[in-house]
Amino acid sequence: MKTKYKWVAIVLALGLVLAACGGDDSADTTEAAAPATTEAETPDTTEAETPDTTEAEGEMILTDVGVDLEAGTITVGLLSDLTGVFSALVKPVVAGYQFQVDAINAAGGIHGLEIKLEVRDTVYTVDTHVQLYEELRDKVVTIGHSTGSPHTVAIKDQLAEDNMFAIPLTWYSGWSDPAINANIVPHGEPYCLESMNVLGFIMAQNPDFSTIAIASNAGDYGQDSAQGAKIAAEALGLTVVYDGEAKINAADEATLAEVVTGIVSNPADIVWVTTSPGAYAGIYGQSLAAGVVAVWSGAAVAWVPSFIGPDSAIRDAVVRDWIFGLPYSPWNADNPGTKAAIEMLKAADPDIAAFDYYLEGIGEALLIERILNDAYENGDLTRAGVLAAAKSLESMSWNGLWPDQSFVGEPNDIVGRTAIIVKPSITDLEAGGSGVEILDPAYTSDIAAAFQFDETCFDAFG
Amino acid sequence: MRGRPLLHTRYEADQAILNTMTKKVMVGLFLITLVLVPFGVVPGIGFLAKSDWLRLLSTVAIFVIGALGLNILLGVAGQVSLGHAFFMGVGAYVAAALGGDPEGLRLGFGLPMWIWLPAAGIVAAGIGVAFGPAAVRVRGLYLAFVTLGLVFVGDYVFRNWISVTGGAEVGRTFPPLEFRLWKEEVPLIDFASDGAWFGILLTSEAKTFYFLLAAALLFMLLAKNLQRTRVGRAFQSIRDRDVAAEIMGVDEVGYKLRAFGISSFYAGVSGALLASFVGSVIPSRWDLFLSVQFIAIVLIGGAGTVAGVVLGSAFVTLLPRIVQDATFWMQDVVIAGDSFLARVLDIFVATDATDFGLINTLPGTGPGLSVFQLNQVVYGLLIIGFLIFEPLGLFGIWIRIRNYWKGWPFTY
Repeated sequence: MKTKYKWVAIVLALGLVLAACGGDDSADTTEAAAPATTEAETPDTTEAETPDTTEAEGEMILTDVGVDLEAGTITVGLLSDLTGVFSALVKPVVAGYQFQVDAINAAGGIHGLEIKLEVRDTVYTVDTHVQLYEELRDKVVTIGHSTGSPHTVAIKDQLAEDNMFAIPLTWYSGWSDPAINANIVPHGEPYCLESMNVLGFIMAQNPDFSTIAIASNAGDYGQDSAQGAKIAAEALGLTVVYDGEAKINAADEATLAEVVTGIVSNPADIVWVTTSPGAYAGIYGQSLAAGVVAVWSGAAVAWVPSFIGPDSAIRDAVVRDWIFGLPYSPWNADNPGTKAAIEMLKAADPDIAAFDYYLEGIGEALLIERILNDAYENGDLTRAGVLAAAKSLESMSWNGLWPDQSFVGEPNDIVGRTAIIVKPSITDLEAGGSGVEILDPAYTSDIAAAFQFDETCFDAFG
Repeated sequence: MRGRPLLHTRYEADQAILNTMTKKVMVGLFLITLVLVPFGVVPGIGFLAKSDWLRLLSTVAIFVIGALGLNILLGVAGQVSLGHAFFMGVGAYVAAALGGDPEGLRLGFGLPMWIWLPAAGIVAAGIGVAFGPAAVRVRGLYLAFVTLGLVFVGDYVFRNWISVTGGAEVGRTFPPLEFRLWKEEVPLIDFASDGAWFGILLTSEAKTFYFLLAAALLFMLLAKNLQRTRVGRAFQSIRDRDVAAEIMGVDEVGYKLRAFGISSFYAGVSGALLASFVGSVIPSRWDLFLSVQFIAIVLIGGAGTVAGVVLGSAFVTLLPRIVQDATFWMQDVVIAGDSFLARVLDIFVATDATDFGLINTLPGTGPGLSVFQLNQVVYGLLIIGFLIFEPLGLFGIWIRIRNYWKGWPFTY
């Protein structure tokens, strides 16, 4: 029997290697080492199933789950991809989040209550996401971060049941849809409007452009962006010479080759590609080698500074051709919000390497701080109270770190319409920045401004 | 006969599923414990009544069904397969297409579970049998690679057949676990909401757990029974020596096809239940790692035994949670104190960026394994360890303990 299993062991070893190889296709991003003082918690099994409402001494503060007035803590759950395909981007987000929470706590917290984060690694798997939500649901007052669109959709019914909300780390335009929005607090410009803004900006600079090639991943990320590009192309009078919407599968070289062929054989003034960073650079590099000359853009998630790092063979071409519209301010932005964030990061870790995703996490933490503060001032730190505070937050300002936003009203009122237009910059990278030069710190194209949000640009989840 | 449990005077008694009193008592106690788990009244394991643990136990039940299928193929009939995840995916999407919301974005006919659940198994079995002619021609390592191909074919189809699967990175929703006679408004029995069964108030997690427990028990019974039938004996003879089996008159090709069919049926049902239980799944769920997990279940638990499958499923499903909680506990100890234990544990966990740790749960910081990566390493080590030191798996360890006490106080 023993010898019969020998080859099974070999196959399994191979299988594990293959499974491990399939992991990270989100390109080699510059991952910075940053300290974080996460406070881990052993799960509390003594907590009652239906907690009573408590009153604080002196002040009348209603609480239920996730707030312990005696211990002075408010617990917030983070469902983050720390090992899966987007971990290279999400780890700095969560690190920034934790730094900001530490800073908030050091400055007195929420009226003396300390924010505690319960971070869980979802591995970008929907069932793990749901399972970990289940683990957190007895412990937290709300979900301060949720990586992934299908993952966040999968917990929306439970969120509604528990009177909680989630801040999704995706810019899917569907989040503004009333059918989903009740327990979601989306932020920033969605992919769809990002396309409208960036293409509007490019056309304002180059009025003689007349053609565009579009290619994208399948799914809410790629296709929301591609749909936005098509809406913008029509409004701007651009002819779509190649439509590769949903054609890209980052894990499949053949699909990249097909898209490259499409782009090369249909010359366009603008190439709009929305995919993962690695696939984006691959498509760009091959097209460049085939002699394609165009302005390149796409959803900003594809951008990572390593493409213009000292080891990059395409750095000069990238600086010449690429342009993006970020939903948040980059490292070198000249505004009080970003400056304060970077000062805080440098105080926490003097050696921190510039990477814009830290700032994304800081923005999310500041949003949670504001919501919890409002809920406290309303005297209601129950889950329902915190949800109500989030949904009545009419004007939130990050002092420029993110564009100001409202969370109240119909979809047209809450959808983000502002982009920070940037292009890659070696000078900025070498000066210790995140490698971009800001062309416009707050740009809204006419198309994005006029866009009527009746339904999501791309319906992925029905 | 009292005191001589292994002396059977009738063939039926010898072949009984529970052939000794000890086994009957043990299984009975185990079942009573499981039934009581959602009430949190079992001393020592009261925490299992919490909703997240109940969900984990429900997942164990689903994995038991899937692993029983692979056990029939790998453990009983001796045919290795890396394609188990593919058949689970097939089952899941058959369930989604038949039971899915007709008003939804993706294909769905809104049929009740008593149609989509068996259909998930039957279609998967059909594909398993259709694939058989290619599989029965090869053995061992070659069979492993042929079945490995299925996972990648499946990956392509699942990613691109958007009208059924929702496509890569998006996925689709699946019909909920509930009983309807036909398409009536209110389901006869639903597991999605809290409510009373026979006057006892149960949470939705408890209801789901009971349903999946019952399903797993049914499939365990069928699998156990299969092993003592003509078909089961034929499978075992092929496993032990296929040439000899053929000489004895066992139709090798026919029985291998049956093994693939039955195994795929189990996989299909398990996939459908898993997808329905989670609610929405993206196509990459049915990847090679899932197949490897199932092989790990069978080998760690003990190939060829039903009890081993249960042990293996519980082990593989609960391991990530146990590793996670253990990591958090170790971090707490390290952060809290200057004790000797804290210093020892400090080697294993990182508490801040400057701290070295084998396990590092902190985001954005330096080297160290995450909980998930640590799990993968542990699977690999355990598979190798069990194959070398304990080929009968956890079940083999149990046999040793049992044999020790059988002869106690004598060594043999």
